[in-house]
Amino acid sequence: MRLNLVLELLDVPGQLLDALNPIGKLGANIVAVIHQRDVKTERGTVPVHISIEGDEETLKRVLHTIEETDVQIIEVDGVVRKEKITTILIGNIVDQDLKETVNVLNGMDGVRVADLNLKMSDNPEESSSRIIIESDYGRKKALMQNIKEFGKSKGFLVINEV
Amino acid sequence: MKLCIIGFGAVGMGVSRVISMKREMLIDKYDLDINVVAVTDRSGAAINPDGLDIGMLIETKENSGKISDYPEYGVSDLSGVQVLEEVDYDLLVEVTPTNIEDGEPARTHMLKAMKASKDVVTSNKGPLSLRFSELIDAANSTNAYFKYEASVGGAMPIINFAHDTLAGNNISSVLGILNGTCNYILSRMANEGSPYLQTLNEAQELGIAETDPTQDVEGIDAACKIVILANSVLNMDVSLKDVQVEGISRITPESIELAKKEGFLIKLIGEASYDNLEVYPRLVREGSPFAVDGTLNVATVKTDLADEVTVVGKGAGSIETASAILSDIISIWKARS
Repeated sequence: MRLNLVLELLDVPGQLLDALNPIGKLGANIVAVIHQRDVKTERGTVPVHISIEGDEETLKRVLHTIEETDVQIIEVDGVVRKEKITTILIGNIVDQDLKETVNVLNGMDGVRVADLNLKMSDNPEESSSRIIIESDYGRKKALMQNIKEFGKSKGFLVINEV
Repeated sequence: MKLCIIGFGAVGMGVSRVISMKREMLIDKYDLDINVVAVTDRSGAAINPDGLDIGMLIETKENSGKISDYPEYGVSDLSGVQVLEEVDYDLLVEVTPTNIEDGEPARTHMLKAMKASKDVVTSNKGPLSLRFSELIDAANSTNAYFKYEASVGGAMPIINFAHDTLAGNNISSVLGILNGTCNYILSRMANEGSPYLQTLNEAQELGIAETDPTQDVEGIDAACKIVILANSVLNMDVSLKDVQVEGISRITPESIELAKKEGFLIKLIGEASYDNLEVYPRLVREGSPFAVDGTLNVATVKTDLADEVTVVGKGAGSIETASAILSDIISIWKARS
């Protein structure tokens, strides 16, 4: 079977070789590599399209091995890989504009608000909202920091995942 | 070994109880005969170069509240510093109350002992979180041993664990629940659905939270421990002002309920890593190592060879903290002999 991957590489010498090495070693066949150094993501990384062939087990092992290196797999067969992030905000989110909060989050690179739950308290200052965000793979840590800073600017207590 | 105990509150009394409980074992197993030659508290001191009677020390403190009332050997209005000047001792156990403003008088006591080449064991977070490098340098300059396992996580082994048991590993971070009072309150709120203030009051009635709970519930106590871990385990050079701190007083039952529905608990988590020093409420997975109930403490050490290692233990209590102090005393004794 064939698998089309999009990998995200740092623009430094040797990265492409590091990414391709395990594929051959594990017995998968590299069908095509499209590598354009001048096309960069907003994060300054280089996306590389790779098609590989092999039996299902081998391809699984390849994915697993690549994941263990610094190389990010951002797409598998046209499907963008996502991470789920749960965060809770405590504060007067209704008065502080719920819509703006969602817009700010949606406006962050590779982010979509997938679910929002609001629980009002007797004191509006203590209202709680749970937000579930889907983001591109590998962005979790940076995103949690962004949410925390945004929350601070609005006076929300941000409770992120560990 | 001649011991001087400065500070005779819950921890100081715990240490002397443990020494008396374990006397025979210490002699049999380590050939370690501990003589408590001086004990001080606010009232003064009890000093006997031939060794004080531990039963009498505890009885005196419990009856009158003043160690200076110790029969025959009690002295009133004698400061810790004066005692350190006058008494011949081998090891100082510094267990005065934690002061996070300037770390005094504990800092002065420790420096004085170190200058005289005396070994020091402490549970006192104040000087450690404000003047860590000063103390380490002072100890190194006279080849004094300085150990402080009891300052973080009470009985939970973490500092010696990271230094000795995980020796050879590169440690990149320590994350943990480092304040039992906060963990008790958050656990109760999660289990009972009760509001914060009511739960805090209940904890105060049970003696788990102090009358003035600020240092615990606002995360300051946990932040001190993060500073100690960052300095001692990660070899950083930081102090309390470098830690981002948020406590638990804004946590609501509603937020806990929302977290639960997604399989999370809210815990006050301290993090020490090279790019982040903070104490913050965080979401932890139910069933994960951080999902501990009650007053327990937990810490996860991230290493290059052993990957993640987690320890859990009682974070407070007189005998539990004394256990950590005793293990420091024994390890100094072993190193000296």
